[in-house]
Amino acid sequence: MESDTQQIALGLRQRDVVVLEALVEQYQYRLVRYLIYLLGRRDGVDDLVQETWLRVLERGSSYDGQSRFEPWLFRVARNIALDAMRKRPMFSLDSKDDNGVRPAPASDKPSPFTLAARTEDADRLARSLQTLEPVHREALVLRFQEDLSLQEISAIVGAPVSTVASRIYRGLATLRPQFEGETA
Amino acid sequence: MNIDHHESFQHMIEESLAGVISAERKQSLREHLDTCAPCQEYLSASNRVIASLGGFSFEVDPTLNARVFVSLRLRGQQVQAAQPSRRRWVLISLAAVVLTLGGSFVDLQFGDLIASAFDIQRAQAQLGLLAFWIVPSLCVLLLFPLLPLLSKAGTRREERTI
Ligand SMILES: [Zn+2]
Repeated sequence: MESDTQQIALGLRQRDVVVLEALVEQYQYRLVRYLIYLLGRRDGVDDLVQETWLRVLERGSSYDGQSRFEPWLFRVARNIALDAMRKRPMFSLDSKDDNGVRPAPASDKPSPFTLAARTEDADRLARSLQTLEPVHREALVLRFQEDLSLQEISAIVGAPVSTVASRIYRGLATLRPQFEGETA
Repeated sequence: MNIDHHESFQHMIEESLAGVISAERKQSLREHLDTCAPCQEYLSASNRVIASLGGFSFEVDPTLNARVFVSLRLRGQQVQAAQPSRRRWVLISLAAVVLTLGGSFVDLQFGDLIASAFDIQRAQAQLGLLAFWIVPSLCVLLLFPLLPLLSKAGTRREERTI
């Protein structure tokens, strides 16, 4: 029997709209969340989501079905986001990191993390998350929310596993002081 | 215990959370954690960060999926329209086969008839049929099936960057 990923790969090769729509339903929230973590902003994300799915339709035959679908999807989304950063002023932010992903500029608007915080601890974390290096934030969401392996993250971000690991360590190190000195 | 000693175990905690720690190091970390309060607190604060990441719920525009579906269907139709169907490739290739065979048949069976009708030599009539019928049909037959392969190679080049 064919595995799920092989069925997805077949559907994408045939540009089967029914398969694509099921994927949109299944992965939409996670795609939105990934892009918010990557960019540190909410506006413009819906456009990138649209473009991501269109690229999935057009280049879907390059997904081989041998590995999980979500790392491939996030890699597509990341390329779209980086392209948008290069092309559009709204995404062209101050340069800081080595990887072309740059932090969002300071804004009066509440950050997407503050708006999305549903627990007291999340609320405490929101401000530090907003100021975190985007690639550190990205590594954290992929590892701890998407539960991806370091190898999978490495394939998404196009950096060695050791770099991904150090991004995770540094992300945790920046956020940890929020909860240090307390008994949980 | 000195600070460096704790640091090395705290690095192991990070490795463990990242999922890159060896079984051996994990065991030694476990033993250390049983007796070390600062490292326990370090682990607990790290775990609380990770748990807090689950405390966000981002709002997704309820119309977003519907908008994506519409643009997918539209783009799907455009892509389909831009690509000649497999059926069309097959039909054209079949037509080329029939034309090539037909030309050869006419050449062999009616060469004399054509030569006398146009008042030329049989060899000239055959040469004419060869140049204006059989060879062009043969070219279509041989080259046409290669076109989809060539266009596929082009797509594949494009797909390397997703
Ligand atoms: Zn210790």
